[in-house]
Amino acid sequence: MSALLEKKSLRDFDWLLAMLAIGIVAFGTVQIRSAQPQEAYWVKQLIGLGIGLIAMILVAVTDYRRLLNIAPAFYIFGLILLALVLIPNVGLKINGQRAWIRVPGIGQFQPSEFVKVTTAMMLAWYFGKHRTQALRVHEMAVGGLILALPCGLILMEPDVGSIITYLPILFVVLFLSAIRLRLVVGGIILAVVMLPAAYWVGVKTNFVKPYQQERINVILDPEKADRRGFGYNTWQSILTIGEGGLLGASTTSEHSQSSLKFLPEPHTDFIFAVAAGNSGFIGCILVLLAYAILLSRLITGARRSPDRPGMLVIMAIVGGLMFQIFINIGMELGLLPVIGVPLPLMSAGLASLIATFIAIGFAISVQLRRFVN
Amino acid sequence: MAVQIVAVLLLSILGVRLYLLQVVRGHHYANIAQNQRIRRLPITAPRGIIFDRNGHPLVDSRPIYNVILSREDVRGKELSSLVQPLSEGLGLDADILRDRFEEIKSLPAFESIPVKLDATPGDIAWVEARELEFPELRIEQQPQRRYPPNGLLAHVLGYVGEISPEQLKQPSYKEKDLKPGDVIGQSGLEQSYDDYLRGRDGYRKVVVDSRGRIQDEIEIVLPQPGQDLISTIDLDLQLAAEEELRNSTTKRGVIVAMDPNNGEVLALASAPTFDPNIFSQRIGTKEGRAEYVALLNDPDKPLINRAIQSRYPPGSTWKIPMSVAGLQQGAITLDHSNLVCGGGITIGNKFTRCMGNHGTPDIRTAITRSCDGYFYRLGLKMGLDGIIAMVDEFDLNRRTGIDLPNEVTSRTPTEFKAILDRRNQNWKDIDTVFASFGQVYEEMTPLNMLRTVAGVGLHGKLYVPHFLKELKPVGESGAPGYRQGRGFQPFDSSRPNPKIVSIPGDINQAVVEGMWGVVNNGGTGAGIRMAGLEIAGKTGTAQVVGLGKDVGKNKDHSWFVSYAPAYKPELSVIGLIENSGFGGHHAAPAVRKIYDVFYRKTRHEEPPGAVPVAKSAKPTRKIPGKPQEAAAIEAH
Repeated sequence: MSALLEKKSLRDFDWLLAMLAIGIVAFGTVQIRSAQPQEAYWVKQLIGLGIGLIAMILVAVTDYRRLLNIAPAFYIFGLILLALVLIPNVGLKINGQRAWIRVPGIGQFQPSEFVKVTTAMMLAWYFGKHRTQALRVHEMAVGGLILALPCGLILMEPDVGSIITYLPILFVVLFLSAIRLRLVVGGIILAVVMLPAAYWVGVKTNFVKPYQQERINVILDPEKADRRGFGYNTWQSILTIGEGGLLGASTTSEHSQSSLKFLPEPHTDFIFAVAAGNSGFIGCILVLLAYAILLSRLITGARRSPDRPGMLVIMAIVGGLMFQIFINIGMELGLLPVIGVPLPLMSAGLASLIATFIAIGFAISVQLRRFVN
Repeated sequence: MAVQIVAVLLLSILGVRLYLLQVVRGHHYANIAQNQRIRRLPITAPRGIIFDRNGHPLVDSRPIYNVILSREDVRGKELSSLVQPLSEGLGLDADILRDRFEEIKSLPAFESIPVKLDATPGDIAWVEARELEFPELRIEQQPQRRYPPNGLLAHVLGYVGEISPEQLKQPSYKEKDLKPGDVIGQSGLEQSYDDYLRGRDGYRKVVVDSRGRIQDEIEIVLPQPGQDLISTIDLDLQLAAEEELRNSTTKRGVIVAMDPNNGEVLALASAPTFDPNIFSQRIGTKEGRAEYVALLNDPDKPLINRAIQSRYPPGSTWKIPMSVAGLQQGAITLDHSNLVCGGGITIGNKFTRCMGNHGTPDIRTAITRSCDGYFYRLGLKMGLDGIIAMVDEFDLNRRTGIDLPNEVTSRTPTEFKAILDRRNQNWKDIDTVFASFGQVYEEMTPLNMLRTVAGVGLHGKLYVPHFLKELKPVGESGAPGYRQGRGFQPFDSSRPNPKIVSIPGDINQAVVEGMWGVVNNGGTGAGIRMAGLEIAGKTGTAQVVGLGKDVGKNKDHSWFVSYAPAYKPELSVIGLIENSGFGGHHAAPAVRKIYDVFYRKTRHEEPPGAVPVAKSAKPTRKIPGKPQEAAAIEAH
């Protein structure tokens, strides 16, 4: 029986998905090494890859339904982790944010990355039952509450960037749970029209402070904005990416933007800029393509899901990944303000890497059981 | 499906932006990225050394270390927050530092600011120990010009200083590729030969990190030193000349010694002098600026080179060109050169006196005794036209052409006649009388007088005085960066050097005999007679104010212009002591000291009767017809 399962698993295992993920991590590790040649971040990333792969396989061979059934337990466990982080001697404070827990041996990890997965599971669990009608208000309120609890705890760290990556998880779940279309359309129109209008009013009424305007100006015109102050990170990122040109910068690696420390956080938040500088436009497009195939592979998997909770959990994960990829690369390209969000699979960081592999493991687990009732 | 569309849309936005940044504007960003990590650090080239004619270095450069603040690296740091730690750590005045930081706010961001010049080893250690705290500080080596002490040769050597914003705008500087902060010659020989003395700066191209710390060196271009300058100065004569001026009664005056045979200036002293190191080393400090202001406000005007920038009535020294010209023009002849002294002359109802009564002297006696009455009458015989012709002949209304900047032109009757014409005033006979004895219508630079008299000594060869003996070549001939050596050429190449004044031999002989007599035949300069070296010369006593008021600050200027030996000139010397009195008493003994030194150097023995010239037993006062050509000009 188990041998049969093994054989079947091997056949249905989404090898392309796994290889793409491993490929992106490998590419990212090379970039991390190039960004911080003196540090051991790249070694840690390889260790993370190993742990991630084991976690992915463990999750993949486990029946996702059994996991989803106890989603509330995972969710509560996640909340406990987030609460633990806030305790001064347990949580580690870096750059003013108490967002890390020290783990002997590996270093530190960031629970907010894991909690994304448990939150997605919780939402899939809650919205997973078969439905015939549009979402009701109280359902949306419960969905909002499921998101609000971890977000509230993360806000206390405080880590606004992470919260932003939580929002699309709920949006995708609501969207796929027959939310009234007019709410979606209305929301989008409201956002498109109201955001600039609100900003304009805010500027005029002095509600938006000059330093906040400065951050927006950085995005509107990075070249003219304060390149030494608020605009510094964005400007240096743009320079690094631009220098990459078509095929990668001609500068020796000792004189690169990251080696000379012009580019901040080159191994984490700005890893894509490092990669863009090293591999140029061609390399960047290949990376984007890899992400595109990875996402579409996940979406295909979601479509084939035998049940609704399975579909929802994959799509929630897809929404989170997609949004996070866009925010991070958009920020590095100077399209969005600087928010400390890692690039999934590429930025150095154990929690983000392992959490992403767990999420992929989930998707594979769902696919493996598509014919099993 | 909708989610897939959103995913493709978002990734496409990123792709398009990447294309814009990397492919469309990639070169632009690559340039900016390169510029922010590559820094060009100048290496200042050492300036050429100036030597005296015997190879003694007069000016050289020594390396100093400056603490530099690189503004590129003061990112997000308020400059004002640096004032306190820097002023305490480097012992600087906080106010000056604050002013400096305020000033440089207007400069482009990439400019570096010197925080402390000539840093001590302690300062350097302090900066190096705080590399992490103040990564924007850097130590830079720079050669600094060092001038001799006591203001020795200050007016000749001049000084260097940073190029001023005004100079940078002038085309003559622009085409030399000079930039702010460059040090150039601002006065004296440093200015005249700046293009040769100044080296070509080199640079290091280095890679810096985001905090401005040097990580790597990619290119180094070594600086090319400037050309060494061998000057015509003889340090021994120069020291003697400055010594004489320092010991003079008013401590204000000029001594110039020149080789009449070629115009090489062996000594040029102008007193009072100043310390050029104020300009080359201290002008950036509060103390240095105060010293500079004090120099500007000093009533004795120490910054002026009195030999070429001050004009004095020449007094009786004017009689030398008058004598030559009077004979040349035929106003008098050698056979009939006797004119009445008459104790003075009456023109209209005004009597202008001579300080003695010399009977009816010939030209030699008139020079030797400095008879004013004689020259009043000679002037009338020559007429204004004759005097003006003489001015042209001897270049008296032109610059000597010396290779120092800012030489002024002497003022002669030619110029004063023009002034009178403009005022519609007539030039009367009395004016011609005044123009004849160097008191009213002449204001000469001492160097011009020296050139004239030295020229007469050479039978009419007037050389352009100069300090340049040789500019040494730099590098190997033919190799890149080779700079050719050269000798002296007048800046005004259209000027003949020497200018030839054709003086018939017998006429020249008569005037020289007169000048010989001044020192050697009981004349007005007899007090400095030297057995081994026959000096030919002429005293002068130039009146500063009206007769009878010649006391204290208003005392007459004392002149003595000469050359020796009288019939085979080797050295010509002029001395002028301001407001000291009679020429034979003050200027002549000072000049004699220069001849003493010259005699020792050339004859290798003690000059006869050298020692106490001032206490010489020769009673100059008892010489009959003691000339006081500062004669009365009561009418004026």
